[in-house]
Amino acid sequence: MAVTRVSRAFKDISLSFEPHPVTKDLPILKNENAIRRSVRNLVETIPTERFFNSLLGSEVRSSLFEFVDYGTASIIEDQILTTVRNFEPRVTNVKVEVDPQPDENTFNVTVVFDIIGQDVPTQAFTFILEATR
Amino acid sequence: MPFTKFTNLDFDQIKTSIKDYLRANSDFTDFDFEGSNFSVLIDTLAYNTYITAFNSNMVVNESFLDSATLRENVVSLARNIGYTPRSRTAARAHVTISVPTSATSPTLTLQAGLVCVGTANESTYTFSIPENVSTTINGGVATFGTTASPIEIYQGTFLTKQFVVDGSLDQRFILDNSFIDTSSIVVYVKGPSDSGLGREYQKVDNIIRIERTSEIYLLQEVQDEKYELLFGDGIFGKKLENSSVITVTYIITDGKDGNGPSEFSFSGTFRDSSSNPVIPAGSVTLTTVQGAMNGGEIEPVSSIKYFAPRLYSAQYRAVTSRDYEAIIQQIYPNTESVSVVGGEELSPPQFGKVLISIKPKNGDFISDFDKETILSKLKQYSLTGINQEIIDLKILYVEIDSSIYYNSPQVSNVSGLKATAVDALNTYASSVDLNKFGGRFKYSKILQIIDNADRSITSNITKVRIRRNLKALVNQFAQYELCYGNKFHINSQGYNIKSTGFYISGNTDLVYFTDVPNKTSTGTLDGSGRGVLSVVKRMNDGEYRVIIASAGTIDYANGEIIINTINITSTEKENNIIEVQAYPESNDVVGLSDLYLSFSISDSTINMVKDVISSGEDISGVTFTRDYYTSSYSNGELERK
Repeated sequence: MAVTRVSRAFKDISLSFEPHPVTKDLPILKNENAIRRSVRNLVETIPTERFFNSLLGSEVRSSLFEFVDYGTASIIEDQILTTVRNFEPRVTNVKVEVDPQPDENTFNVTVVFDIIGQDVPTQAFTFILEATR
Repeated sequence: MPFTKFTNLDFDQIKTSIKDYLRANSDFTDFDFEGSNFSVLIDTLAYNTYITAFNSNMVVNESFLDSATLRENVVSLARNIGYTPRSRTAARAHVTISVPTSATSPTLTLQAGLVCVGTANESTYTFSIPENVSTTINGGVATFGTTASPIEIYQGTFLTKQFVVDGSLDQRFILDNSFIDTSSIVVYVKGPSDSGLGREYQKVDNIIRIERTSEIYLLQEVQDEKYELLFGDGIFGKKLENSSVITVTYIITDGKDGNGPSEFSFSGTFRDSSSNPVIPAGSVTLTTVQGAMNGGEIEPVSSIKYFAPRLYSAQYRAVTSRDYEAIIQQIYPNTESVSVVGGEELSPPQFGKVLISIKPKNGDFISDFDKETILSKLKQYSLTGINQEIIDLKILYVEIDSSIYYNSPQVSNVSGLKATAVDALNTYASSVDLNKFGGRFKYSKILQIIDNADRSITSNITKVRIRRNLKALVNQFAQYELCYGNKFHINSQGYNIKSTGFYISGNTDLVYFTDVPNKTSTGTLDGSGRGVLSVVKRMNDGEYRVIIASAGTIDYANGEIIINTINITSTEKENNIIEVQAYPESNDVVGLSDLYLSFSISDSTINMVKDVISSGEDISGVTFTRDYYTSSYSNGELERK
């Protein structure tokens, strides 16, 4: 019989390490926030950066010095999609939109996804990829 | 859940155990997902744990001689117990050089350094000498070395290194090259009042009998197989003075690869007694007395681990046979295996005597010169009143007569298949089970090796023979004794002992040894385990005729053949050798005490036989038993074929 997965709460630690003003506990990321952070971590990790797991991460950083056009945007889109599909099993219906901003030399990235087994609306988060030097 | 797994050394295992712990003891859930922040923290912790575990494991392992793996550490630990690993040894050749010269000086000097170039295995090797050699000029010709006392040339490149002593405490004298033959190192120290290169310092291995003025140095291996010179401190050995110049000459060598060249072309340089260069008046004649041999690699880590504790327990004293084993390895690096037998174990006992047989790495015998060198070096380790004698190696050859059955449809080239089987046997022949004193030939292993040599081999029938080579003293009356150290199989009809042919005085025919076991009057074996050795010849009609009925005795139970006084004039085999073979009672042959066991594949017989049953040509087995049948017992021939 197939195992039925029950819906669970996701709970992760926050790397800001700023204590709660009242309880002085470490900050906690829950559910969609935790997953959103996780997707962001995956995209921003450079492959080989993680010990003994050289495949984890995406190569978007290496594309940042390419021309800021739709061609490069499409490559980045693919890279992010592949990474999320491979390493984040909690999300589905992943869509990535990369919008090149040639004047600012940046890409606006929006990742849209659904969380499996959680009764929350479709999640989206946006970040800017920019070559800083 | 308590965190109890402390033995994990693998990153993934450490990570899993941290996750297991968190799963049972924490409110957090996301550590299973690689993208989570928690995963980053766990990775860092696991990596830290892994590195710590690896480091402590390495530190502990490398602290003990038994478990250390890095050469540098093994050498350093061996040094703590006074063991200096053997260096690479240069192959050495012996030559004489004859030079026509018009130089007017009384002597001619062959300069240290490159002397000649030799070729082996399509590679060219340079040969050098570590020190100048001088000779007198007679009648316009200078001859270096004689056939009886040739000059020794070392395979390798001659190098010189100079150090100036600056008096600082941390100055080290490290020779910058790997692959040095340390026996070629010559050290000169030129103090402020010395001229030329200065005084030659001697290498010592320990500080026994060293005084404050002894001009000595010690040698130790440091990183990357390089060597460091250590000088005296004014208490043990003379202290170096400030601004002294140390000149070290040495040879770096190709080691084992340099063995082989026997023809050389001269490339050396000459100087006269005033150190002026001399150009030969004609062509230089270089005659080889002995080709290059005895080159060897640096002592491997496994050997250091084996011998260092033994040499330490021997304490530079040759008392037990194990002491001799360690010390002889040290003083004669070309040793492959040593057997030492105390005189009290001999029959009759010879008290106060130690018999040593040494198997050199290349070849079967060590030269008389080497024997004398070993004995004289051994004297300083041995007990007073004990005499050592180096006896020639007694080799017990094991041969097989094997019929190998193969499934013919699977074989395209039968000789190729035979070569595969021979290759597999050769690998076993060079293994550590054999080729040593006290070695054992394992019959079941051989059967397995042949069967597994190729998939097409279906079975094999293998008989074992043992053989000793009798070196005849030609044209002399002599008695001989051959010990096999293994019980012989007795066939009451004889045919147990066979030999190659030889000639004896008073008879012009080729004759052979054969045996007749002792029997009772009813014709059965008398149970004494003994027999008589006879000499027979083959007649033209194929029959044999007895020439000497009782030429010696055979002790089947102890595997000994004693040949009474006989005058052998020549032998069928070269070098006055008579090969005498027997069938061992047990197929597992042991190299007893001073017998060196050698598996002789070149003298073995290997027949390839078609397995007609496996190939489907013969369903009933009738053809097989008629045409492809092999007996598991020895044949009825009297001679050794």
